[in-house]
Amino acid sequence: MSGSLPTAKPCAIPDTPLAHAMPGLDTCVHCGFCLQACPTYLALNDENDSPRGRIVLMRALVEGDLSLDDPAVQTHIDRCLGCRGCESACPSGVPYGQLLEATRATLTARRPLPAVVRLALGVFARPWALGTALAMGRLARGTGVASLLAGVKGRLGFAFAMLQSTALPIKRKNYTARGDGSRGSVAVLQGCVMEGLFAGTNRATARVLTVNDYRVVAAPGEGCCGALHAHAGDLETARTLARRNIAAFEKSGAELVAVNASGCGAMMKEYGHLLHDDPAWRERAERLASRVRDVSELLAAAGPRPGAALPLHVTYDAPCHLVHAQHISAPPLAVLRAIPELQLTPLVDADQCCGSAGIYNLVEPETSNAVLAPKLAHVAETGAALVATGNPGCLMQIGAGLARAGSTTRVVHPIDLLDASYARRDA
Amino acid sequence: MSHDALGAALAAIVGERQVLVRPSELLVYATDGLPGYRKQPGIAVFPRTRDELVQVVRLLAREGVPFVPRGAGTGLSGGALADGSVLLGLNRLTRVLSVDAENRLAVVEPGVVNVHLTRAVAPYGLHYAPDPSSQAACTIGGNVAENAGGPHCLKYGVTLNHVVALTVILPDGDIVTLGSADGERDGYDLVGCFVGSEGCFGVALDATVRLTRNPQAVRTLLADFTSMDAAARATSAIIAAGIVPAALEMMDQATIRAVEASIYAAGYPTDAAAVLLMELDGLEAGIDVDVEKLRTICLDGGARAVRIARDEGERTRLWQGRKKAFGAMGRISSHLVVQDAVIPRTRLPEVLRLIAQIGAAERLSVCNVFHAGDGNLHPNIPYNANDPDESARVHRAMRAIMRACVDAGGSVTGEHGIGLDKIDYMPRIFSPESLDAMCRLRAVFDPARRANPGKVVPVRSCREWTQAPATR
Ligand SMILES: Cc1cc2nc3c(=O)[nH]c(=O)nc-3n(C[C@H](O)[C@H](O)[C@H](O)COP(=O)(O)OP(=O)(O)OC[C@H]3O[C@@H](n4cnc5c(N)ncnc54)[C@H](O)[C@@H]3O)c2cc1C
Ligand code: SF4
Ligand code: SF4
Repeated sequence: MSGSLPTAKPCAIPDTPLAHAMPGLDTCVHCGFCLQACPTYLALNDENDSPRGRIVLMRALVEGDLSLDDPAVQTHIDRCLGCRGCESACPSGVPYGQLLEATRATLTARRPLPAVVRLALGVFARPWALGTALAMGRLARGTGVASLLAGVKGRLGFAFAMLQSTALPIKRKNYTARGDGSRGSVAVLQGCVMEGLFAGTNRATARVLTVNDYRVVAAPGEGCCGALHAHAGDLETARTLARRNIAAFEKSGAELVAVNASGCGAMMKEYGHLLHDDPAWRERAERLASRVRDVSELLAAAGPRPGAALPLHVTYDAPCHLVHAQHISAPPLAVLRAIPELQLTPLVDADQCCGSAGIYNLVEPETSNAVLAPKLAHVAETGAALVATGNPGCLMQIGAGLARAGSTTRVVHPIDLLDASYARRDA
Repeated sequence: MSHDALGAALAAIVGERQVLVRPSELLVYATDGLPGYRKQPGIAVFPRTRDELVQVVRLLAREGVPFVPRGAGTGLSGGALADGSVLLGLNRLTRVLSVDAENRLAVVEPGVVNVHLTRAVAPYGLHYAPDPSSQAACTIGGNVAENAGGPHCLKYGVTLNHVVALTVILPDGDIVTLGSADGERDGYDLVGCFVGSEGCFGVALDATVRLTRNPQAVRTLLADFTSMDAAARATSAIIAAGIVPAALEMMDQATIRAVEASIYAAGYPTDAAAVLLMELDGLEAGIDVDVEKLRTICLDGGARAVRIARDEGERTRLWQGRKKAFGAMGRISSHLVVQDAVIPRTRLPEVLRLIAQIGAAERLSVCNVFHAGDGNLHPNIPYNANDPDESARVHRAMRAIMRACVDAGGSVTGEHGIGLDKIDYMPRIFSPESLDAMCRLRAVFDPARRANPGKVVPVRSCREWTQAPATR
């Protein structure tokens, strides 16, 4: 280097969440290692849609080179999946997820969220509204309407295909789970979407934990974790939901909190960061966050106990919020390996985002589909009958994509497979 | 042609989504891997096929518009920056066009990411040997333009040794083939001319590259030293003993600690003053004799321990740590600069001492991670740009380090190129006659000087230009 050094500029947007995130922006050395890890860059091939590029945009907002009202900036920030694949590639430890949240919160303060986002978030924040919406969804699924409409073109058809894919693709007998409870007490997050559309998986979670000697206790009052709100920039609602959950889980007295939706687990592990500026809640948030575990972590710590044979051909897809946000990659495989005769074929680029990313597929359908396409192709290469993945968004996104592509491959939560295997053992 | 008209004409060729004209969307293209420079293009265009690329270059030729090729933008000399001109993004041309496993050749488009080529030929037991640390991101086109090196180039040679032919579109729109796939270099070595031309001679449309058979046996060793000096002397001793490792890399303590704090933590000893990461490869028979020799030289040279990677997993981790070291340093301070210079290997201990002294005198911490076997130094300095005094000290230190390297008989770049960053050093190491010869060579490829203008050779060094300033 002979002439130029990077220079610093004064802050143009003081006292915004993004301005406070400046130290995180400074960690980026512009090396570009994150480019090939970013699904939107791979789909669109524009650095504006890459982690390095988005960091440049964020910095330009802080330094006043770009305005918060610039529609181009908003587009490229909106297009980010929040999958945090970039964090898993970044040698410098750029806290990208936090930077994105801060940017979205700063932008949201200036412009209304798109109508579809507001509607969706509003529903998630209100148990009665969510209850109604999910009940209608279940009705559509149960009556076969969803599968009828799943073939309809466009966003609506995709939504029905997503709904259709929440049905359990394997038969499961009823059984009574038994264990000695020696591994301590656990409360299971029932959440919002999980309880609405995957209630069976929530019950299965309690059973497999019981079989593995955890004592499952209830935590009345818990609900939506607030992840969707935080990711969209609505930090206030996210904080309200977080406080509700913290109080509920504290009251349950459980030593640990098990989460079977990786997006929610990632959020809850970051409650401390979310409530960092709230003196009354900060410590409580940190304490709760330290007790949160993905259900696969708890099971892997216990073995898990092997079940009866399930001769199924399965491939595993790693949810971004498990592998990139929580750095959990081996435990879900341990869960699947506890099932005798289950044939596990590795999925190429299993750690690449499927394009679901919360409500992203509702807001950015085109990019979402471009990101989904290689995932579907890789699934097809495996020839597996089932794709196992531990997050409702991914289950629905991949499930809908497969259904609409005419594939017979179905999606399933790994916990449901383990549960089915235990059910057979018991029978 | 006006900016808008040019944008529209380009969009007519490649489609609207492949052209960026708004300043707010061009900002991210104002820097490459070296964030100290900011030069924003006026337009960026991203052809998706060779045909589109050819049409774009021809349109620019007709209109007399200057342009700058860009691969992945990982360059560390500001080479891919376009100051108001057209940026030609090649990152959408990512096809491996053919693989001839028998003759160990592949033809690739310029936007193929280095490591993707190796992945594509892995089923044949082959790989692409030049492995810049940035290989997970950088493109073959960028490698060709910078004549990129990498850890394994010590034994296998740099990019130039692996390119046998190139199809190039000259800035005037003519398409020429340089070299030939059979490797015969009859006549002038035009491939040798183009490789390392930093985007100033035209755009590589495709490259025919040599593939290398995966070695039968590989051993990766990590030697741990309590002083930089001992590690440097051991390096010289290894070379003097006539052993040619596939790679021989050095990392100092500050670098080791940055890597160990990152997700690429490799298990390097954080209390070591320096480590040497070495690799031997070849036939299974006899390789362990060389391993033993290396081990002995290191231990005799004062190494506390020499560890041999037990399996592929450990080997990968040791290498990933090394290759991600530059990135890992981002955590040390808010800003980072890297220098690139080559010195004769025998002068390694003394120059490293000088660099440490310069750092100490300016109260800066210098992190060294480099290709020791080639004598290719990369001192990195993390600092805080918000502190004007510290920035000034960094400036002075960088210049002093470069001077020390040149005084030791070295050159100003090992592999990162001249680009914008090193252009001022050129008159110090080349005579006016040599610089003028470079200008004339360039004029053969690009008489109108429209390809990557303002890079590599200072304009004032070109006699023809200084004599007729009106043409510029
Ligand atoms: C973390 C890190 C580690 C690195 N390690 C190494 C290393 O070990 N060894 C090494 O040699 N370098 C290294 N580099 C530097 C850099 O990666 C190389 O110079 C690489 O070759 C640049 O490739 P690129 O695709 O990013 O090119 P760019 O940065 O986009 O462009 C570089 C130059 O090539 C020109 N160019 C690009 N494509 C073409 C084309 N098709 N035709 C004509 N000209 C073209 C551009 O105009 C520009 O002048 C490192 C960089 C980083 C960030
Ligand atoms: S979070 Fe995902 S989509 Fe967003 S920049 Fe990172 S890798 Fe890309
Ligand atoms: S990998 Fe990390 S440091 Fe490198 S460009 Fe991406 S975000 Fe920045």
